[in-house]
Amino acid sequence: MTGICVKSLSKCYRGREGDVAALSSVDIDVAEGEFVSIVGPSGCGKSTLLYILGGFIPADGGVIEVGGKSVTGPGVDRGVVFQEYALFPWLTVAQNIAYGLEMTGVARAEREKTVERLVRTIGLEGFERRFPRELSGGMKQRVAIARTLAYDPAILLLDEPFGALDAQTRETMQDELLRLWQATRKTVVMVTHDVNEAVYLSGRVLVMSQRPGRIVQEFAIGIDRSGGREATMLNDDFNHLRNEVWLAVRRQVAGGTA
Amino acid sequence: MAAEVARLAADAGSLRRAFHFLPVVIVLAIWQAAVSFGLVDRAFLPSVADIVAALWELVRSGELAANLLISIYRALAGLAIGSVLGVAIGLAMATSRPADRFFGPLVAMTYSLPKSSLIPLFILWFGIGDVTDILSVVLACLLPVIVSTYHGVKSVPAVIVWSARAMGSPHHLILWRILLPGSLLSIFTGVRIALGFCFVLTISAEMIAAKTGVGKLIFLYGENGAYAHMFGGLTAVVIVAYFADRALLAVMHYCLRWHDSVYAAHRDG
Repeated sequence: MTGICVKSLSKCYRGREGDVAALSSVDIDVAEGEFVSIVGPSGCGKSTLLYILGGFIPADGGVIEVGGKSVTGPGVDRGVVFQEYALFPWLTVAQNIAYGLEMTGVARAEREKTVERLVRTIGLEGFERRFPRELSGGMKQRVAIARTLAYDPAILLLDEPFGALDAQTRETMQDELLRLWQATRKTVVMVTHDVNEAVYLSGRVLVMSQRPGRIVQEFAIGIDRSGGREATMLNDDFNHLRNEVWLAVRRQVAGGTA
Repeated sequence: MAAEVARLAADAGSLRRAFHFLPVVIVLAIWQAAVSFGLVDRAFLPSVADIVAALWELVRSGELAANLLISIYRALAGLAIGSVLGVAIGLAMATSRPADRFFGPLVAMTYSLPKSSLIPLFILWFGIGDVTDILSVVLACLLPVIVSTYHGVKSVPAVIVWSARAMGSPHHLILWRILLPGSLLSIFTGVRIALGFCFVLTISAEMIAAKTGVGKLIFLYGENGAYAHMFGGLTAVVIVAYFADRALLAVMHYCLRWHDSVYAAHRDG
């Protein structure tokens, strides 16, 4: 039971200059094992939505259930990868990856084995004892993902995980994420402003309106990804869907509430 | 070629370090000249050479070592107790609203209070000696550490705390494993300020409320008009305080070797 159910969710930020409505009556259903992306204009509240799912900030109204249970705070069933990696700068690569395992009570020997395996998976052998400041953006991002995968959460919440990477690293990381999802079939909710990325990776793409954000359109992405990145990207179905989603987002950016 | 460049760079480094003390040398030279040429009466200000001679005499007689060790003990004990308490209170204030409400006004009111003005009261309570001296130092060290810890904790990015919570950290481990290391740079800045205060307070407390210590030594020589010896004692304190600060800086650089700004400071010499 790792499905996510959100009903008429609303969120308001209170400020000195009056309240700002961030989200209004958001409805989302994510089935177990589904990969769903949320795209929309910047400042539409998509990150806020993810933080509410993570249990970091409370909603003002509505129902948020994960695995049939109401969300009251963060939990190890939901692994989060943040925009700016949020690695612990005082811990080494190995210690960062081991942190969640330590907190969930995994024995030291087991921890070391998992860390070794993940370091190999993300191709950072030899960097185990380095601190995050010694790593490039792409390496930090891989550590952030490895750190979250280490304690094996059933759900992944990704907040623009590749936003700070250069184009080449970004594509490599997307392919790694796709492979990972195909292998594990975790439930994934990803927030991104990159339409290509959303369509390339997800089973379903939700488009949000400008603030206060709500879901205005939904695209089922039934494309064949078996041929690899090039085949997928050059595929007519992919391009057709990509263009449709792009247009939908563009209409929201232009300020249309249509 | 590369070795040549490295040697030149090293030379430039040591040269720069030597120049670092140039202002001190200039002031001392002017001081010595003023006394030697009779611009200032020797009875009012001893010459630098007299002070060095007096210091040497204090060292040789063993009078300095015995008193200096006691003063260092008081200063560092006060600094250690004050820093630990300060970190604990600052952490509590930054993470708990009731603690903030309780300590906030107390800190604000006592921040600018000269702690040495309380020494007579401590003498009344605890008599003359270590307890009074150390307590004065603790009080003086407490406040800068509280304030810097508080601001350090408040400036730890929310996503860092969130990611720790997402990975199942209980509250006490958020404090210990996340907020404490996350505010370490700021805490060290506070402890460095406190290190300066701890010598100031030790010396002033000893002048009023002790039978031993460099403060007492300075006070007695000053009372008796032996100003060269008084300055000799002061010089010893200045030297100790300087090396204590260097040592703290070295510890800080080791503890913060993961930190961007400390790393940059190291790299740029």
